[in-house]
This record gives sequence, structure tokens and C-alpha cells, in this order.
Amino acid sequence: MKPAPAPIPPRLSTPAQVASAFRGLRWRLAANGLRLLLTGSRLRLAMIAVCSAIFWAGLFFLFFGGFQFLKSFIPNLSGEFVEYIFSMFFLSLLIMLIFSSGIILYTGMFHSREAAYLLTTPAGPDRIFAYKFFEAIAYSSWAFLLLGSPMMVSFGIVEDASWKFYAIFPVFFLAFVLIPGSLGAIGAMLVAGFLPRRQKTVIGVAVALAVLALAGFGLRIWRTPGEALTSEWLDGLLARLEFSRHPLWPSRWMSSGLVASVRGDWSTGLFYLGVILAHAGLAYLLAAVVARDLYRLGYGRVQGGRSSRRRFGWYGLDAAFHRVFFFLPQPIRLLILKDLRTFRRDPAQWSQFLIFFGLLAFYFVNIRRLSYDVQKPYWRNLISFLNLSVTALILSTFTSRFIFPLLSLEGRNFWVLGLLPLKRESILWGKFAFSSGISLVSTEILVVLSDLMLRMGPAMMLLHMGMVAILCFGLSGISVGLGARLPNLKEDDPSKIAAGFGGTLNLLVSLVFICAIVTALAVPCHLYYAGQDNPEFAGVPLSEGQFRFWLTVAILVSLVIGVVGTVLPLRIGIKAFQRMEF
Amino acid sequence: MIELRGVTKTFGAKRAVDHLDLSVRAGELFAFLGPNGAGKTTTIKMVCGLLRPTSGVVKVGGFPAASAEARQLIAYVPDQPYLYEKLTGREFLRFVVEMYGLDPRASARRIEELVETFEMGDYVDELTENYSHGMKQRVVFASALVHDPKVLIVDEPLVGLDPRSARIVKDLFVAQARSGVAVLMSTHLLSIAEELADTIGIVDHGRMLANGTLAELRDRVQMHGPLEDLFLKLTGGDRPLVDGALLVQARDLDR
Ligand SMILES: Nc1ncnc2c1ncn2[C@@H]1O[C@H](COP(=O)(O)OP(=O)(O)OP(=O)(O)O)[C@@H](O)[C@H]1O
Ligand SMILES: [Mg+2]
Repeated sequence: MKPAPAPIPPRLSTPAQVASAFRGLRWRLAANGLRLLLTGSRLRLAMIAVCSAIFWAGLFFLFFGGFQFLKSFIPNLSGEFVEYIFSMFFLSLLIMLIFSSGIILYTGMFHSREAAYLLTTPAGPDRIFAYKFFEAIAYSSWAFLLLGSPMMVSFGIVEDASWKFYAIFPVFFLAFVLIPGSLGAIGAMLVAGFLPRRQKTVIGVAVALAVLALAGFGLRIWRTPGEALTSEWLDGLLARLEFSRHPLWPSRWMSSGLVASVRGDWSTGLFYLGVILAHAGLAYLLAAVVARDLYRLGYGRVQGGRSSRRRFGWYGLDAAFHRVFFFLPQPIRLLILKDLRTFRRDPAQWSQFLIFFGLLAFYFVNIRRLSYDVQKPYWRNLISFLNLSVTALILSTFTSRFIFPLLSLEGRNFWVLGLLPLKRESILWGKFAFSSGISLVSTEILVVLSDLMLRMGPAMMLLHMGMVAILCFGLSGISVGLGARLPNLKEDDPSKIAAGFGGTLNLLVSLVFICAIVTALAVPCHLYYAGQDNPEFAGVPLSEGQFRFWLTVAILVSLVIGVVGTVLPLRIGIKAFQRMEF
Repeated sequence: MIELRGVTKTFGAKRAVDHLDLSVRAGELFAFLGPNGAGKTTTIKMVCGLLRPTSGVVKVGGFPAASAEARQLIAYVPDQPYLYEKLTGREFLRFVVEMYGLDPRASARRIEELVETFEMGDYVDELTENYSHGMKQRVVFASALVHDPKVLIVDEPLVGLDPRSARIVKDLFVAQARSGVAVLMSTHLLSIAEELADTIGIVDHGRMLANGTLAELRDRVQMHGPLEDLFLKLTGGDRPLVDGALLVQARDLDR
């Protein structure tokens, strides 16, 4: 064997060439996307524009009213108090953005075919990272801008800021998102490199910790001593918020910088902007270095880490399911079983379900420790309705996140379903049954638990259980129906389907539905209980007889809303699904 | 140009590739055969640097796999290729050219040439999301060739191509090999291997069962029928044909 001759190195692409190739790619993708949007369905475009405008305007007036209200109490608004509020706001955004960009980057960098392609090109891992990073930042920060800009504009107007403030706050925002984005990216790469098989556990644990911290914090705020809005209460509240103003939090830099800018104190404002920019640059640099050294390693580990574990079917359970639900047609039962099995095998689904509903249950169990149950009936009634609403709100995020994308995902496998000997609409009914079944079981348990802990009477308990049933059917109907009407057959990542236009609309409709049902029933109950032990309210509230009458009316109204909210979306969905081409 | 020595890749407890040796010289067209799940794609991914071998050495052009030099030399067409849906075919080719740092003027001519060769003129300026499978496949092949790779790696190249495109692609492989490119191609179509390959390697359960020219393989198995019989005989599940002696022989010849 003769020794191999020394290899001749090829001429390598320079980093500048790679960077300009990626720039060109981004630009062409954006230009083509925009052209498609403009030449595509006008209706859809108009709907997106109108929805965003309404959303923006709604937030604007909300914030505007809020700031004006605050100003009537605290003339020196751009002082300490607002800084506290901003610190809290940006701190929670910081945490949320770390999570969202971390998750988006993890899938984009380690689970996408694009990444596999790019890793075989001359582009270095840090270049690929840069490309995916800015994509993820754009993706995860649009909500941040949509939420933050009305807040800043209304704050500026209330405080009579100069035009320079409106020019500079977007710079603050853009610099700020780089920090959580980079931190999330570093987290994602570390998880891929060192815990490639534990990603879901890591996310689960992190989310659980964050929610626990939030719950603990909410509890502390809730227990601030004193009457609301008195100065003693305010001082207590601010003391409890003190941690959010630690000078090392990026959120603190944001709040101090923005508040200084609104006052026209530019030396302070620009100082904080400089601090944010410097840290954003540093964080990004750090992320790029981690990417250079870890991306490829992590990619290999994640790809190799897919478990080839065999799955066992719990087939006895399946037989039991068939016996219990004998009244459903066989094909629907089979479809539901398939969905149940997918649900069981996807920890992302049931872990979130468990975490949120688990925390809620934890809170309900501890209601007595908070001694809510010995409060006046007026309070207990209020809290019981609040608990119910929170349960429904969480349920609506689940139906939007998990049920809405189901039909889009099914569309990709339509070659199986479409050829099965069953009517197309049974697929929809199957999803509806699946969704309402799971939600009914979990939410009814929660609401009964809450009512037992609050020592509510049997009549109220029955009422709440009925409400929850209406909400479960309605939310399932909305998600299944809209999921069929506004499917996204191109995307195979359910979280992206849920975050798209259809998913957002679905969430909005669900929220409106919940509001309608809860208001219809909560108002008469509230007025009734208010009269029972608050003499100062006497006159407004309802007497026993009036209450009976109005409650009956409310029940009928909510039943009608419930039936319409369930059947109408389902019918729209079935119609669209019958005509759909795959 | 491609050099694998004692390469093993395990996924958990599963050995997808087991002490594999393989080498493809410049100008050689190597056909990689084996039943489903034999470890072909896994091997190819290691050559492209997408997976790290659990043990063993993978080199491309004398450089470790996944190094910048190796990536510059390679063109890889995976079994499920990726195309940007919101780019046109031509824009995608231009992106590849820029990425490989080629001279824009010369490569514009090269793109024209490839568009003509693959007969893509009708649709190359439409968004790729509207392409059929075969149309996409042609763009992917064009993108693999547009930067004049020294090593061409293709996983299941002819799936979904019509006879005419298949002919074009086959001719291209041969032309590339004759011009000095090392071609590594995995396939299930024995006729292609028979027709095109200089060297044939048959793997099963991650191990190289036989490796050599068609004549050498026939010699070894003492069979003179078509490649199909040979393949079935070598990979036949319950037949004790693949005895240790054969394995050792095959590996010895490799060196
Ligand atoms: N990421 C992975 N995680 C776990 N196991 C894997 C992974 N990729 C491949 N395998 C396993 O490794 C073995 C070899 O797979 P590979 O894809 O290399 O086969 P192949 O020869 O390309 O098959 P085909 O002809 O069907 O394409 C298979 O048993 C497969 O199950
Ligand atoms: Mg394969």
C-alpha cells in the first residue's frame, strides 16, 4: 500500500460570499412571499389587515384608558409606578420570548429538512445559525411588536412625548428581542448537544417551573394587604414588585430607558439603549460561538437520538373503548382511537395538558387554605365564576393549539382517510367527539373540585357543570369547524399551523364564545348574590323571584349561544371539508 | 475521493452500520445496493457530515467528513430533497451558485446549460411549490451539478423520474464519472447498477457483504445469472449462504 498523496484543498467559499448568498435568499423569499400575498386572495389579505387593525386599536384604547386612569391617581405618571409596570411587562415578555424563540429555533435547526440541506453546503454552522436565527426572531417578535406598540403609543400620547420618542421606541424593541432570542437559541443548542433525548422533558420542566413561579408571584400580589388602590396597598404592591427592577434585568433597562425617553431625558434614555444594544450584541455573539462549536454535534445527536423503541398498544383498553362507546358508528370509533393513540404518544400534548390542568387543580385544592370558602357568598360566587372562566380560557388555548391543526395534518394523510369506506363528514364528527370527550372529562373534574372547595350549593354546581359542558362542546365545534374551513395543508408543524392566521382567528372566536356564555350566566348570579350581603348595593340587585326568572332566561340564551356556537362552525367546516381538494 | 474505514453507527442499541469499509476513487461510479433498512442512507449521511460515525473514519477528498473542504467538494442529493417552496427553480440555482462562491458570469452560463439539459425551460421561472415530484427532482439534480462537485452522492436517484428524465440523469452520472468525479449512488434498481456502475457494493444489516466489479461479484458467488439472482442470493434471509468465509474474502479484497 503506497501512502496517499497529500490532498489538494479546494478553493473555499468565503464567509462574505456565504453571507451574501443568504442575504439574497432572504430577500427573494420575502419578495416572492409578498407578491403571492398581494396577488393571492384579496379577501384573506383584507381579513388579516382588518383583524390586526381591530386588535391594535382595541389594545390602544385599552392602554390609553389605563394610562389615563393611572394618571388621574398619579399625576407624575412617568415616574416610579409606570417603571414598575413596564419592568413587569418586559420581564414576562423576556421569559416568553426565551421560550418561544428557543422552541422555534430547536425545530428549525434540528428537525427541518432545510437545515439538513444547508449543513451539506459550504455554509459554516454559525452562518446557518445566523440565517435561522433572524428568521426565528422575525417570527417570534411580531406578536411582541403588535402588543408593545399600542402600549408605547398610548403612553407617549398620555405623557405628551415628542416625536423622537415614537421614532426611538421601535429601536428599543428590536434591540431587546435579540437578548431573549439569543438566550433561547443557546438553550436550544445546549439541549440538542447534551440532552438530545430529553428535549420534551426539558421543555416540560422549564414550563412547569415558569408557571409555578408565576403562580407563586400572583399569589403574593393577591395577598397584598390593605384595600385596593389605597396608598398603603400601593406601597405594599410595589415592594412585592421590587425584584423585577433589579438593575441587571434587561427588562429594567427597557423600562428605565423608555420612561426616560418619554420625559425627554435623552442622556438617560440613550444610555439605557446603549446598554441594551451592547448586551444584545454580546448575547448574539455568544450564541453564534455556541453555534459554531455545537450546532453540527447537536444535529448529529438529535438525528441519532430518535428512539426506535417499540410501542405497545394497550389493546385491552381499545376493546373496552369499543364496548363503552358502542353507540358510535364503528369508523368514528376507530378514528377516535387513532387520535387518542397519537395523543398518548405525543408528550408535547399531554404534558402541557397535565401541567396546566394540574396547576389549576393544585390551586383549587388549596382554595380552602386561602380561606376563600369562608368568605361571603358574594365573593365565593365571584371566585367560582372566575375559576370556571380560567379553566375555559386554558381549554380554549388547548383546542386552538391541538385540535385546530388536526384537520390540516389529516389533510396530508388524506390518501388513507379519503379511501376509507366512510363519509367525509364522519371524520369531522370523530374529531369533534375526540375533542369534546377529552375536554369534558378534564374540565368537569376541575370545576366540580373548585365548587366543592368553595362550598357552593348543589344548584350552583349543576349550573356550572352545564356551563362547562356547553363550553366544551362549543370550543370543540369551533376548533374542528374552523380547522376544516381554514386548513393549512402545506405546513407539517402543528404549532406553526396554530400560530398562523386560521389558528389566531380560532382563538379569537373561542374567546368571544367564552365571553358570551360566561357573561350571560354570571351577570344574574352576580347581581343576586351582591344583594344578599352588601347593603350598599341594595336596589340594584335581584330579588329571589326576579333571580329565578332572569337565570332561566340566561340559561336559555346560553343554550342557544352554545348550540349555535357548536353547530354553525361544524356545519361550515363540514361543507368546506366536503368540497376540499387534497 | 471517498474513504470509509471501519465505520460503525449505532442508534441506541441498533447497529445501523457495522464496521463498514468502502472507497470510491475519482472517476469511479459506485453503486450501493442493499435491502430496505440495510444502512445505505445512514452511510451516505455520514459521508455528507450529517451524522457522526460512532467509530471509524470517514474522509472525503482526503479531508474529514463535515469539514469545510469536504463540504465544498460534495454535492448531495438526498432521498427526500429540500427545495425552497417560495423560490423559483432558477432563483434556487442562483442561490447555490452564490453559496459556492462561483463567478456569477460563468455560472449564469452554466445554469442556462443545465436548464437546457434537464429540459426545464418551461417551468424554471415558476415557484417550486407548484412543481411535480419529477420537476423538483430535476431542479435538485441541476443544483447538485451547477457547482462542479468533485464528489457526487445520490440517494435513490431515479425514484419518480419519467423514462426520458431517467435517461438524462443516467447519462449525466456516467459523464460525471468519466470526467473524474467520484459518484456514490444508492439504489434499489439493479438494472441501473448493472448498466452504469463500475463497482458494486452490497450491504445488509450494516455490513458490506460483497464489493467489486460485477465480474468479481459473479466470480465470488459462483453464479453467472443476472445481478438480481446474485443480490437475492447474497441477501437471502434464511439461507446460510453468507458464511463467514465470504465476508472475510469480501473485506480482504477491499483492501
Ligand atoms: N435517526 C435514526 N434513529 C434511529 N434509527 C435509525 C435512524 N435512521 C435510521 N435508523 C435505522 O437504521 C437502519 C438503517 O437505515 P437506513 O435509512 O440507513 O436504511 P436504507 O438502507 O437507506 O434503507 P432504504 O433502502 O429503505 O432507504 C434502519 O434499521 C433504521 O431503522
Ligand atoms: Mg435509504
